[in-house]
Amino acid sequence: MNSIYLYQDDLLSLLNLIHYLVINKVTPDNIKPLDYAPTLLDEVINLKIEVNNDLIKQIINNYSIRIFNIIYYVFLSENENKELIIYYFYLNLLKYKTNIIYMRNLRCVSKALKISKYVSSEAHRLKGFVRFKKLKQEIYYAEIAPENNVIFLLAKHFKNRLKNEYWIIKDVKRGLISIYDKKDFYLTTESNFKMHDFKTSEDDADIKDMWKEFYNIIAIEQRTNERCRMNFMPKKYWKYIIEMSDNNEKNY
Amino acid sequence: MEIKEKLRILADSAKYDASCSSSGSKRKGDLGNASFSGICHSFSADGRCISLLKILLTNCCIYDCKYCLNRKSNNIKRAIFTPEEICYITINFYKRNYIEGLFLSSGIIKNPDYTMNLIIKTITLLRNKYHFGGYIHAKAIPGCSEYLVKKLGLLVDRLSANIELPTENGIKLLAPHKDFKNTEKIMGYVKENKSHKFVPAGQSTQMIIGATKESDLDILSKSEAMYNKFKLKRVFYSAYIPVNKDNLLPTLEKPPLVREHRLYQADWLLRYYGFKTEDLLNSKQANFNLLIDPKAAWALNHLQEFPKEINSCSYYDLLKIPGIGVTSAKRIMSSRKHFKITFKDLKNMGIVLKRAKYFITCNGKYFIDTTFFNKNFIEANLVLEDKPNNAVERKQLSFFHE
Repeated sequence: MNSIYLYQDDLLSLLNLIHYLVINKVTPDNIKPLDYAPTLLDEVINLKIEVNNDLIKQIINNYSIRIFNIIYYVFLSENENKELIIYYFYLNLLKYKTNIIYMRNLRCVSKALKISKYVSSEAHRLKGFVRFKKLKQEIYYAEIAPENNVIFLLAKHFKNRLKNEYWIIKDVKRGLISIYDKKDFYLTTESNFKMHDFKTSEDDADIKDMWKEFYNIIAIEQRTNERCRMNFMPKKYWKYIIEMSDNNEKNY
Repeated sequence: MEIKEKLRILADSAKYDASCSSSGSKRKGDLGNASFSGICHSFSADGRCISLLKILLTNCCIYDCKYCLNRKSNNIKRAIFTPEEICYITINFYKRNYIEGLFLSSGIIKNPDYTMNLIIKTITLLRNKYHFGGYIHAKAIPGCSEYLVKKLGLLVDRLSANIELPTENGIKLLAPHKDFKNTEKIMGYVKENKSHKFVPAGQSTQMIIGATKESDLDILSKSEAMYNKFKLKRVFYSAYIPVNKDNLLPTLEKPPLVREHRLYQADWLLRYYGFKTEDLLNSKQANFNLLIDPKAAWALNHLQEFPKEINSCSYYDLLKIPGIGVTSAKRIMSSRKHFKITFKDLKNMGIVLKRAKYFITCNGKYFIDTTFFNKNFIEANLVLEDKPNNAVERKQLSFFHE
């Protein structure tokens, strides 16, 4: 039987479980969120452990913010073994302390670094690729469909950038919504969010047209390089990048 | 004229400027901020990044530079933006996250000071009336008064003046109204006054490649001299694209894009890898080999220094290995203190071995039989690996793929 340990679907609960397992020298076959559907070979274990709310703070203080971020970014990824990777990373963290980031000959470390890099690059890319439209109610609204769960990272970015505007970002893939009220941002799910009027403001179409015009004209014809564009701006993002989706409407 | 048409004309005439970077500034404002690492918002069909709204204030110009679309003698539609129009587009694009900021350049209208004043007026409006904190890159107009450079530098993140061509002779030939010295005066002034308030993201410049007869040696020497003298952040190279017909201009089928690419690679070697122009080029070999990148070409000519041992050679030696960049070199330096690095580890560390494997040993081991360590074999394989559709050969050489 495979022993599968369950955690509530959040990072703090996962880290508490992992910490408990490591301290008690338990080696799990896997770690999964509560809604995991077990197979016939799985033995599902739901431990009741006391949650240490300061665990994240302790990781940051004892090691570094960079090390915590590696764990956090792996958690935001959709890698199917992310919990196990974090488990083995944490296990080695206790042994190697802050030197862990140099131990790239360990599989769990090189994997964790690679995944966390993938997540942070996607977040960075989307800081550029997010496209807001202005709604009638003076709210800036954008939809995204990222590979990783980066909406929180984006919200943090736009909180500083568009701090005097109301804005909403929706992760269409995960049904997550981030709302900013000119003071702070909140994360919620689609089911808790009711908004019916998505009409754009009067000037929005004009501005969008000007942008598309600018986009098309700024390319130098003699230098056309489709492959290069695709490398930097992969097709999977085009649907929500208006200058691409409107130019290629038939594709959708 | 409608604002949309103005945008079309004035973006069209601005697009030949290569620079679009938005990095190096930590500005904060009521509307917007700068991101220190820079952010690309889109990529145009030519694969170039779009991060700034790149426009001219006007394409009217009193000069008649042979290579320029906006030269006085061209019969084209002319337009001029009002400062409010530029603010309107910038703010509206910015709030929708289309752009990271503004890149404002201009043709020269009436005289350099008059043009500079218009640029300053526009950017003052953006910063003070609209409290815009996003990135602004402005062109300084060579020949303007010094106090105007000072004023503009306090408003923008990056300031630049284009050198246009690598030598004074080139300028005399193609841009007879321009004076090399005026551009250098601006660069000197910016260098002297740079601070976290004055041009915080530094200055850059641009040269057109292939419009005149200069060699790569001339071009790179010029860049090196400017990096040393003016502490430039970047020199941009722009492959010449014929937009005008003129007896003094070459007729090119295609812009020299590979040459431009080699110059950028060499430029990186100057700035981050400890190379000097004289290491890469000399009067006998004044141009780069288009088939092979400058670092690999250098390594092949200095094969007696290779293979280098990954576990013991110095940081600058690591940087001399083709295929190993600054990130990889740092990664190797910090990891090898903790364990002996093998070829397999290098792969786990995310270090690309495609080129590097020919030039290194790990714990004394070469990746194949050492009898293959010779110039002809390595050169042939490097050239081969750069070409697509050679999967078969590549497979034979790669002893540690998945």
